[in-house]
Amino acid sequence: MLIEHPDEAAGLAIASGLRFAGYAVAVCPGPLGHGQCPLTGPAGCAPAHDADLVVCSLGYERVPAREVLRELRTRYPDTPLMVEVPSDIDADLRELLDGCHQLPASATPEQIVAAVQSLSGRAVEEDHAGA
Amino acid sequence: MRSPFHSEQEAFRFLLLLILGLLPIVLAAALGPTWLALVVLAVILGVLALRVAQLRMRKVRGLALPVKMAPPHMGSAAERRVLIVANDTLGEEALLSEVERLACVPDTRLLLLVPALISPAARLTGAIDGLLDQARARLKTALDRAAHGLVVAGEISEADPLEAIEDTFATFAPDEVIVSTRSERAASGLEPRLAGLVRERFAVPVRHLVFDPGSAVQEPDRDTEARYRHEFGDAAARKFGLKALAGAGILAAVLMSMVALVQSSERDEARAASQAAEQAAWLPPVAKLVALKVIAASKRGPEGEKHDAFTTTEFAVRAGQPQQLRIDNTDSVPHSITAPAAGVNIVVMPGTHTYTLLVKQPGTFLWFCTFVCDEWAMQHPGYMSGYINVS
Repeated sequence: MLIEHPDEAAGLAIASGLRFAGYAVAVCPGPLGHGQCPLTGPAGCAPAHDADLVVCSLGYERVPAREVLRELRTRYPDTPLMVEVPSDIDADLRELLDGCHQLPASATPEQIVAAVQSLSGRAVEEDHAGA
Repeated sequence: MRSPFHSEQEAFRFLLLLILGLLPIVLAAALGPTWLALVVLAVILGVLALRVAQLRMRKVRGLALPVKMAPPHMGSAAERRVLIVANDTLGEEALLSEVERLACVPDTRLLLLVPALISPAARLTGAIDGLLDQARARLKTALDRAAHGLVVAGEISEADPLEAIEDTFATFAPDEVIVSTRSERAASGLEPRLAGLVRERFAVPVRHLVFDPGSAVQEPDRDTEARYRHEFGDAAARKFGLKALAGAGILAAVLMSMVALVQSSERDEARAASQAAEQAAWLPPVAKLVALKVIAASKRGPEGEKHDAFTTTEFAVRAGQPQQLRIDNTDSVPHSITAPAAGVNIVVMPGTHTYTLLVKQPGTFLWFCTFVCDEWAMQHPGYMSGYINVS
């Protein structure tokens, strides 16, 4: 699981919940944490490439955060995205979020873990149904 | 032993680079002079060393990784795993109390990791055992004090502390890490910046406990951690920079010596060749083909009688260079030009034939005919005997 969260403590809290739920985690502060985000460069982002699911909580009122979301959707179209979204979103963001799993902004780590588990369960059921 | 590669792709990329690196060296060696191959080798080694130094410098300074990682939790959902990393501070009362307190918390498992901090110098001088014994003694003291059944375990590591912690993440999967250091690095102690490096790399909470003589245990704030990171990163980078510089100097000196050696041997060869050419220019000219005859009873001796004789009895040749002799033996029997000291024995058959006279060493050699003919002439140079002058 890749967790994109600008706040270190909140990112670690989500990571801890997911770890106890049995997932290996990677936590990234996003484009505001360490300058240039590798996702927007030519090399791409190895953790995003390896992830089974990306949890994005970057606050999408900012352009760099939207860029990250756009890159994730373009470069890794098969990786599911779970995005924390604010209550009022503009048309551009609505279009960007189309097809993503959405969570209300400021979801607690427990809510995020539950949503991830529910999504993973659904994915396993779909796999079984497909088989 | 750790593999230097993280994946098969990395190993394959290394192999590909190795082949690409060797190709210009082989081409230079095959198509150009030896010194050119050495220069190409030096350039490739220099680029390689620069890249390795760059990567190593990043590691020495701390990678500044944007992404922290952690494996899934191990054990039951209620269990909490704590990794405590310490070395010289393991005997501190406050740390032992903390270990004891944590060991008493239900469902908590502790692992004490003691990096033995074995430097390359210690490995070379065989001082490993002493350092390991020290680490073992510290661990034993801590375990004696805090051991409660299976909840506390200990490990000594010979690896770099950060690598040892990484290994522990793979086997123990801690939910929290406590790093214990002093504010200044002691010879047998961990660097104060270790906690910051662990915090940057792993997605679990990290506590840093700093012990200084005469003062209570402290947990440094973000600014102090940044200062540790900066100061110790710079110091490690300077130390590495000096080592790298010394290594580059030695490598450059070795390569320059090799190039000089090759050039000097090439110059020596050229000088020897030109000296040989000069010497050859000073030697008397040698005819390409010498024509002569053997005629019976043709040359008058001092006593007035006619004797058998070669028309030419002195041959000027060069050492190692074959000389063609076209000999017309007008007699009905064979004769010879035989010089045992020069390794020459040419049997001259009746009729006109071409023979090769080859002498390998310089000097003046007497030759004579070994076939029984005119006995007097066989013993007198100028008749059926003579000299081979080899220059």
